[in-house]
Amino acid sequence: MGWPEPGGPELLTHLRRRRLWLLMPAALFGLFILPAAVAEASIGIGIQAGPVRLSGHAHPGGSYQLPAVYVVNTGSQDESVVLKIQRISPGHGLTIPPSWIHVSSSPVRLGHNQSARLPLQLNVPPNAKPGLYFSDVIAHGSGSVNAGHANLGVAAATGLDFTVAAGAAPHPGLAIPSWLWPGLGGLVVVAAGLLWIFSSGVRIRIERKPLSGSVSEGQEHADTA
Amino acid sequence: MQIPRSGKQIAVLLLGLALCLTGCGIAASPSQPVGKAATLNLSLKTVPTVRSITISPGKATFGNCTGGKDVNNTHSAGSRLGFPNGTCWVGEISPIGVYPIKITNTGIASFVYVNGSSATPSDDGNGWSLCNLGTKPVATCNGYKHRAPGIDQYIVENFGPGGGTRSGLTGTPQCDRAFGARGKCLASLGTSQHEGFELIGPFAASDFRSTNWTMSITWTPVPTEGD
Repeated sequence: MGWPEPGGPELLTHLRRRRLWLLMPAALFGLFILPAAVAEASIGIGIQAGPVRLSGHAHPGGSYQLPAVYVVNTGSQDESVVLKIQRISPGHGLTIPPSWIHVSSSPVRLGHNQSARLPLQLNVPPNAKPGLYFSDVIAHGSGSVNAGHANLGVAAATGLDFTVAAGAAPHPGLAIPSWLWPGLGGLVVVAAGLLWIFSSGVRIRIERKPLSGSVSEGQEHADTA
Repeated sequence: MQIPRSGKQIAVLLLGLALCLTGCGIAASPSQPVGKAATLNLSLKTVPTVRSITISPGKATFGNCTGGKDVNNTHSAGSRLGFPNGTCWVGEISPIGVYPIKITNTGIASFVYVNGSSATPSDDGNGWSLCNLGTKPVATCNGYKHRAPGIDQYIVENFGPGGGTRSGLTGTPQCDRAFGARGKCLASLGTSQHEGFELIGPFAASDFRSTNWTMSITWTPVPTEGD
């Protein structure tokens, strides 16, 4: 069997066969790799293991910025994450009413392995009972996989705790601004430096020396007289 | 410019001080040890400090539906739930055990909790609420002798090779008895569990028009008691 005649039907068949061989890797990819990728599709969510804690004590009527909560998408698909406050894990203390914690209502979109820090604000009502408060911060992922008509979802929880001390929170208008103490310190240092200079007796005296040929004030007065 | 005597003295003193400092600096520099700075770069990996979970179901769908009444033409058929109190499965307990949902704890040791939700019809009609069996049900089933769901109630029980939540899921996350050793639901890093679930439908549905219902099941890792 020789080389196919140019333009003949044998050559076309030959080329078609070669094209088919070239398509084989793509076909193998479609047959084996894609189904595996689909089978590995997963949804997942993560949250910081350490609890969210207010560094100091809270007071009735006060408003406090809590440390931002770290969340991560551990699944293979993009998903939106929202935070909710709900007590589900064991722990001691009074349960935090969800209305005390302000969380952003807009979900954060995260891709695979992407993470974010979501802010939380604590607003303690004026009639809050003093004591230790505890609850969970739950990160809910929007992603779900279907099992029939059941949507399977994931969430992850971490603790949230703080102590409400007796006594009302200082009024914002009477609160001492953070720059006040450094400013006062600087003024004291400057004042001490000036005091030292005046008390040390150091003097710098500047005198004008009359130029030769010029008339001094006294001479001018004598001539006029 | 005339500098008074006291000023001259101060100027001399300042000049002497400046010369001394300069001289000291020049004299002192050769005595300092001459060396080449060396830096040792070290890297360290830490264990994860994130609590996380991942689910990756295989082909999972409701099937093997049984129950209902032939007389009323409301017997279950294939993947369609019948009335009253038909039963459908995702996976199966017997005879061989099929658990299509894989749940993996991808973070630090945590308790794995699970919860269900109300079932909602596609036409926004009346939903079905979860109810529970057992001696201390969170929501009592109103069906026959409180052992079956009543009107607009249903039960979802999840199961794994080692057991499951026989009293049924609630709307609040609770310990997933199918997860972890001896039903304690404690899972360490990398621990995974395969699960399926059984759904027992209502005695009757007040929304008789809808034939499509959706519900959700959520797994949540929560802090351990030691956290």
